[in-house]
Amino acid sequence: MKQTRAITFIVTEACQLRCSYCYLVGKNKINKMQFDIAKRTLDYIFSEPTFISESDIILDFIGGEPLLEIALINKIVSYFLYKASESNHIWQKNYTIRITTNGLLYSSDEVQQFIKNYHEHLSISISIDGNKEKTDLARIFPDGSGSYDKVIASIPLWREQFPDEGTKMTISHDDLPFVFNSVKHLISLGINKIDINPVLEDVWKTGDDKILERQLIKCADYIIEHHLENIVDLSCFEERSGIVTDNHIIPYNYGICGSFTFAVDYKGDYYTCLRFAKFSLRTKEARSIGNITEGIDWNLMRPFQTYCNQITSDKCIKCELSNGCKICPAENYDSSSTSSIFEQSLSSCKMHKAKVKAKNYFWNKLYTSREENG
Amino acid sequence: MLKYLIIQLDDTSTSFCHYNNDRMTGNLIPIEILKEAIFWSMKENLTIQFLYPDYELPEEYKSAIASTFHADIVSSTCEDLPLRDNADVVVFDTFDNISDFQFNDKQSYAIRTMLSRLLKNANMLHAILPKVNRMNVIITDIASIKGEWENKYAEFLEKLGNKVLEEYKKGHYLQINLLTDRLLLDNMNNCNAGNESITICPDGKFYACPAFYSDKDVSYSIGDLATGLNIKNPQLYKISHAPICRICDAFQCKRCVWLNRKNTLEVNTPSHEQCVVSHIERNASRKLLSKLREIGSFLPGKEIPQLDYVDPIEKLLS
Repeated sequence: MKQTRAITFIVTEACQLRCSYCYLVGKNKINKMQFDIAKRTLDYIFSEPTFISESDIILDFIGGEPLLEIALINKIVSYFLYKASESNHIWQKNYTIRITTNGLLYSSDEVQQFIKNYHEHLSISISIDGNKEKTDLARIFPDGSGSYDKVIASIPLWREQFPDEGTKMTISHDDLPFVFNSVKHLISLGINKIDINPVLEDVWKTGDDKILERQLIKCADYIIEHHLENIVDLSCFEERSGIVTDNHIIPYNYGICGSFTFAVDYKGDYYTCLRFAKFSLRTKEARSIGNITEGIDWNLMRPFQTYCNQITSDKCIKCELSNGCKICPAENYDSSSTSSIFEQSLSSCKMHKAKVKAKNYFWNKLYTSREENG
Repeated sequence: MLKYLIIQLDDTSTSFCHYNNDRMTGNLIPIEILKEAIFWSMKENLTIQFLYPDYELPEEYKSAIASTFHADIVSSTCEDLPLRDNADVVVFDTFDNISDFQFNDKQSYAIRTMLSRLLKNANMLHAILPKVNRMNVIITDIASIKGEWENKYAEFLEKLGNKVLEEYKKGHYLQINLLTDRLLLDNMNNCNAGNESITICPDGKFYACPAFYSDKDVSYSIGDLATGLNIKNPQLYKISHAPICRICDAFQCKRCVWLNRKNTLEVNTPSHEQCVVSHIERNASRKLLSKLREIGSFLPGKEIPQLDYVDPIEKLLS
């Protein structure tokens, strides 16, 4: 069976931006990964039966801003290919390099050379929230100035090099009114795959769900009226989202920590996801599952391995719309009263429901429109 | 639903389970709290189990304890001999001098031991079996049972099963938790701390069990008598919310929520070693059942199926 493992290298905790909604609350210029940590992690990956039995691997580089460490990324990829070749592993061919960036260094010579070297295996997503108004509201520099003008400069080149790549649009309370115009703007830039993510943290205020619902319904109308339904892919209109479920097991959500993802930080500590590293957590200590010296402690992995099989909040169990709800074990842990990943955070519950209502509207309108048009 | 209240009378009270109580300095529960706890448990319709220290309690404590229906759990080294000789459960922390102990068929006994010591003293345990009706063996280092120790434990249980068989042939139907509990169970019969039982400790606070008071690494209280019981995430203590345990049929497993928390950081998730140990026991019970049926009809209709795994997570992830 084809299985994929994503190995996330948190190459730096630094970032040029101070996005208002960023979950990386401990960004700093000090903690950077040294090559030896990455090398020993790859040595471990290539010796761990659970990993090497998998057919595909994603080398996921993240920060902070990963492109600040492009030289290190280059060295890690070279070493990965050396290891894959040395062991004649199928990963020699079946590998993807995935980078999510703020785009500020995208056009630099070093980054462009890297893209040239690995283009065939490379997936780069530039995070741009939408139009200038929305982007400059949230994605700002430490001095408070917006980043839109600097990021937009790299978008044409990115579209040319990666025409199929999408972007992540993060939504928080303040920028909700700009969602529709932002989606329109991204479509005008040729970005057709848009992952719309209301933040998982407890930032939402009364009525925010109604605003999101209205904004997304405008998006639905726009897509259908302009016959873009086969071109534009808005994640929140995923057809399975919110379909009625009748048991504890939610087959389609964010509970993939441990079965798909694996992360390593600058200290060589291992996590199921970067959101369990200390710089991602507001109130809790880092929750690692091992380290480069001792490898994975499989007992610490067990709750993550079984996570998808256990939704523990009665509210979630009874929720008929829970399918597709982006339940995040790390957000659960960070907001939990008992440091448990199983204590469901319900902070963004109403935002999920707003997305489901807009999704329902989209599909009903689309089917009706298709019938009307024969 | 809560059924039991464990009252740890002193910081040095005997452990009767997997945790070690390393507290050496006596700190008796204040008499007002004891009385209040007894009063509270009567209102809540809970059965009380008292955990005693080795020294003799003051008279006013004895009077308070005598005022309610309860069970007494004491150490074999308890200096209050009348109490020890009439306690419901006597706990041994060592095999030293165990053969000199005057066992009786009215009491239950528990031996807390590391696996290596258990194996070393297997003959001593065998010798006790004819003298007791109920024996709990509690292994205190489950987390370290790996590799060759798994095989050694299975061999130990097989031999123990043969000794149990000899007793049954004589008409002495003793119970030993490692082997006979699974024969008699049709559903999980776990400790259920935090769900069916809670503990009140000398600091006046509630804990899921005494282990959460004794182990500073994972210590957290779940309320107190003044403000009431406040179990956060109570669902996580229930079998229905334990993804691995709810599909498991090692019904005799204690499903220790403290060990779970210690080893996997989640009260509802057992360690691999816990699951393997429980399945070694379960499989030994299966063999014992087969042998018992060779000597006569025994528990007709009861079947313990053969499994191709020793850790139910394999079933879950397959």
